[in-house]
Amino acid sequence: MKSFMETVLELKDIQFSYENQTVLEAINLSLKRGEFLGLVGPNGSGKSTLLKIALGSLRPDRGEVCLFGQSLRQFRDWSRLGYVSQKATSFNLGFPATVWEVVASGLYGKLGLFRRLNKKHGRLVDEVIEKVGLTAYARRNIGRLSGGQQQRAFIARALVSEPELLILDEPTVGVDAHSAEQFYQLLSHLNREQGLSLILVTHDVGAVTTYIDRVACLNRCIHFHGDSAAFVAQQQAILSTAYGHEVQVVGHDH
Amino acid sequence: METPTGVDIAMFEILLHYEFMQRALVAGVIIGFISPIVGVFLVVRRLSLIADALSHVTLSGVAAGLLLQKYVSAFAMISPLYVGMVFSMVASVFVEQLRRLYHSYQELAIPVILSGGIGLGVVLISAADGFNVDVAGYLFGSILAVGKSEILAIVGAGLLVLGIVVLFYKELFALSFDEESAVYAGIPRHGINLAFSLAVALVITASIRVVGILLVSGLITLPVAASLQLANSFRQAFIYAVIFAQVSVLAGLVAAFYLDWASGGTIVLVAVFNLLCVMGIKRTVSWVRKRRGHLTT
Repeated sequence: MKSFMETVLELKDIQFSYENQTVLEAINLSLKRGEFLGLVGPNGSGKSTLLKIALGSLRPDRGEVCLFGQSLRQFRDWSRLGYVSQKATSFNLGFPATVWEVVASGLYGKLGLFRRLNKKHGRLVDEVIEKVGLTAYARRNIGRLSGGQQQRAFIARALVSEPELLILDEPTVGVDAHSAEQFYQLLSHLNREQGLSLILVTHDVGAVTTYIDRVACLNRCIHFHGDSAAFVAQQQAILSTAYGHEVQVVGHDH
Repeated sequence: METPTGVDIAMFEILLHYEFMQRALVAGVIIGFISPIVGVFLVVRRLSLIADALSHVTLSGVAAGLLLQKYVSAFAMISPLYVGMVFSMVASVFVEQLRRLYHSYQELAIPVILSGGIGLGVVLISAADGFNVDVAGYLFGSILAVGKSEILAIVGAGLLVLGIVVLFYKELFALSFDEESAVYAGIPRHGINLAFSLAVALVITASIRVVGILLVSGLITLPVAASLQLANSFRQAFIYAVIFAQVSVLAGLVAAFYLDWASGGTIVLVAVFNLLCVMGIKRTVSWVRKRRGHLTT
């Protein structure tokens, strides 16, 4: 099981500031293949900044990022990584595109210039749409779907290039509770059945403790990084240091 | 009533009898194809005004071309349209640069280029002390205007635009739908945007003789506006937009021929009429549906 222990993402001693304000310092975080990591923290704690650094769109002042054992400076194989942005569902709702067309666009970066979709790609798109449960909606205009369905379409778009690591930035914002629940179940399924490594940035501490096995709590620096069971045990103490006050955790009972 | 088809055929024979009309129709079919194709991407990216900005720069290029024609003997035989093409292609590169510079005010590139273009155009026209040629033809389009050498330029521009859109279709779709994710997926944003801006510049130059500088953006955006009312998928958006554009161009040119109207204005009016019809039909259909639903419940 050597490959199972492979480190998918490693952040070493990351420091980052906007102007003179330090947003992140001394961040050490790693994700092994097959892990599902929940990244929690209050607003403005640097979660999105950390993701941007991990994805190479922001350069840290200090420290190093390694993806699949390769330094980010040499890393080119972006299709091994899927990213679902916080802004994904705030697209232009009048956009003339079907779910199928949007999901297929997840393959375009991997295909490269001048290559077109073939039948095999088409089947792949169909399969991914089925996996997220949108087969009945494949030919519908994406703007006509509910928020939860749109969110699943965006997951499908990220999954279609068969990434090894999927990064999701607050995907359940603006989605109703029932859809959010289904959404977490889908992620949990992808993680357990297909061994997909996942990082989920979220406000929803309750979801983290129900579906996720590893938790990192961030507010400028990492306040906790470990198993979710240990996180649950020390939850109040961790959150009050990270958030600076008592936090009411809403549980997901099952 | 006895021989309506005979009369129709005779009318079309007259229409096609004139070489200028043949050229105008060939040019019309080409621009009726490439304008809406480029227009779909411009409209969904909320950049439809870029077409306006570039067309005004093309005006200054045409004015420069006319000036060169007047004073430099080497340019005497060269259509000012070619100079216009060079100007709008250079301007399209500037638009991209400005959009990168003002990342959060991307629409600012448009008034900068537009006013710069019209300013230069007006100065060049006044410097030449007016022209013998019909500047109005460039502004509003004319069916008499498409020259023999220009038809080649229009065909060439058409093929280039088609090439760019076909080659980069999937990248353009990904960037139009969600630029951030497309960039993370490794799509070369700046290169693709640049190639696309060049395509827009080419569409404008190809369309100017028939539709005119002031109305080019109408032909680019109006068929798309009608198409978006109906299209469910991106592919449908193209199909409907091309159909609406062809109807506008062909009906507009024929009407302009018989009524002796400016072709650009006629084409754009047909396009507006198309749009109004689509909106009207859509409203009526949904009203009838609602009413029917109301009656059955």
